[in-house]
Amino acid sequence: MNLNAIRILYWREIRSALRDRTIVTNSILLPIFLYPLIIWIAYTGITFVSGQNEGLDSRIMLKDVPPAHEPLKREFESDESVVLVTSADPAAALSNGTLDAIVEFMPANSAPTIPENFATRITYDESRDASNRAKSRAAQKLTRYREKYLEQQATKLGMSRADFQNFWMDERNVSSGRAVGAFMVALPIFFIIMLAVGSMHPAIDSTAGERENSTWETVMTAATSRANILIAKYLYVATMAFVAAFLNLFAMIFSMGTILGPLFGSNLSLRIPIRSAPVVLIGAFLLALFVAAGMMILASFARTYKEGQAMTSPFYIALIIPVMFLQTPGLDFTWRIALIPVANVMMMIREAFQGIYHWRLIAITLVVEAACVILALRIAMLVIQHEDFIMGSYNGSFGKFIKERLFK
Amino acid sequence: MNEPVVVRNLRKTFYDEGRGEIKAVDAVNFDCREGEIFGLLGANGAGKTTTLRMLSTILTPTSGTATIMGHDVVSSPQGVRKNLGFYSATTALYPRLTTRETIDFFARINQYPADLVPERVEHLINRFGLTKYADARIEKLSSGMKQKVSIARTIAHNPSILIFDEPTVGLDVLNALDVQESISELRSEGKTIIFSTHIMSEAERLCDRIAIIHAGQILACDTLAGLRQSTQQHYLEDIFVLYVKAGQATI
Repeated sequence: MNLNAIRILYWREIRSALRDRTIVTNSILLPIFLYPLIIWIAYTGITFVSGQNEGLDSRIMLKDVPPAHEPLKREFESDESVVLVTSADPAAALSNGTLDAIVEFMPANSAPTIPENFATRITYDESRDASNRAKSRAAQKLTRYREKYLEQQATKLGMSRADFQNFWMDERNVSSGRAVGAFMVALPIFFIIMLAVGSMHPAIDSTAGERENSTWETVMTAATSRANILIAKYLYVATMAFVAAFLNLFAMIFSMGTILGPLFGSNLSLRIPIRSAPVVLIGAFLLALFVAAGMMILASFARTYKEGQAMTSPFYIALIIPVMFLQTPGLDFTWRIALIPVANVMMMIREAFQGIYHWRLIAITLVVEAACVILALRIAMLVIQHEDFIMGSYNGSFGKFIKERLFK
Repeated sequence: MNEPVVVRNLRKTFYDEGRGEIKAVDAVNFDCREGEIFGLLGANGAGKTTTLRMLSTILTPTSGTATIMGHDVVSSPQGVRKNLGFYSATTALYPRLTTRETIDFFARINQYPADLVPERVEHLINRFGLTKYADARIEKLSSGMKQKVSIARTIAHNPSILIFDEPTVGLDVLNALDVQESISELRSEGKTIIFSTHIMSEAERLCDRIAIIHAGQILACDTLAGLRQSTQQHYLEDIFVLYVKAGQATI
């Protein structure tokens, strides 16, 4: 192994890659902008729709308002988003959509301790958004008015609010803000998707792309060993995978903090604990080596860029599917999951982001990933010993090759 | 004294699912002398490219030996490649590198002394009239310019032996003449050149000695004058046809 030759070849690959539109788009721009952009668009869309809804009027009919509660009627009248209407047949108006909700005032069910006590019924049509919105607005107003009214009555009777409050309801969220944040934004799954996307095009470019451009033979005549050439290519693909994953991670944290942070306030923390860095880095490093090896082995059977895309796509899907299933809330990182390649790294990273470290499971994960890397490289070594494969004259896929050459 | 290129009983057999065993090169023998252009003349599929690919260590011979500047193509492939510049229609340039970066890369990877690389790059840029295009990407260059850069990258590490495998294929007359002129200049600098072609006029014009190859076998190897004398034919085309027909009859 000649480190100087590997360095020269590696920088040649990187330099070419950074000038290629497809690679720059998929390995650099996409990780930085795609998911943050999707989240921004979704957030803007939600805000827009919600703003539009806020601006829509609710047509509400108040029926039999007791004279003592005229202030409640005035509150409805003063709300610009509420239009008070009257109807001879409110039930029909509600069903034909000319009325959104009916608020009926009825005598209290039992003899009231507080004078002018009353009961209300809101009639609405759940199948219509406008009616649902009107019901929410009416209920909100009634609740607020009732609270205020009760407080006034208590004061008149010489009581404090606490004296007549039956019980207090207090909510306590035991999940830390960090856990909520890490889980909600599903950073690990994006991390792994981007790692796969980031390696795919460089892997194709450095193998099938070279064959398509007829530069494969040029580099094979360079005064260095084939092993050095392949190591440089491998390191280049792994670098691009690693970089894509981390660019996406940083972009997600930044954009989440900027866009979603204010929405959740103190309930959402998007800071990743510094302590998780070694675990995340080593996990990502091993995963990048494994994914790069897999992508390169498959892509190197292709003779054109298109063939390369077709040959690497199943591997990409195979990486993503188990990771998708593991996004189920409440799923724990167990030793069984630690034995599943890729999924184990995702779970390990997810826990590390939450500040949880199961060291035994982390050790199993790293051993499994390292074994996968070794296995992939071993397969690559077996494959490159075949001259027709190196020369690109082998006409078949990885599966056919394994069947014909390695198991024959 | 050992010749810079020595080829003995070189064979290459491929296996094809449909056709079975194919002897692409069958017991080829030849030597190349220092400072000469050695022509390998043959029709398409005669075994020229396979022979040259074995000499450049891209393919491993099935049997036989070949040495380049004393380095065996099987046991010392890196030694061979360090002393060899290989040019063919299938050795293209990296489209996203500039002319300067291309020459620099091939000089360094082929172990030209690192401190002398910048000087060498400038020398080659000037020599091939590439100054105007030195910082242009290869993908932006015309075919003629690409051809010049290709020759520059082939000799970037100043190798003693150069292989040109059908270098004028697909070029127009003027560009083809440019390439021939460059090869001629390289000979006058003392380089040993193996030049394969199926174009008779090129072989006549450039080669000091010509080997006629057919069906993986060398049928004749001599100077043009020697071939004329042996066959009593004047034109290389006639000489070639005579040997090939005789070869076919033998096979």
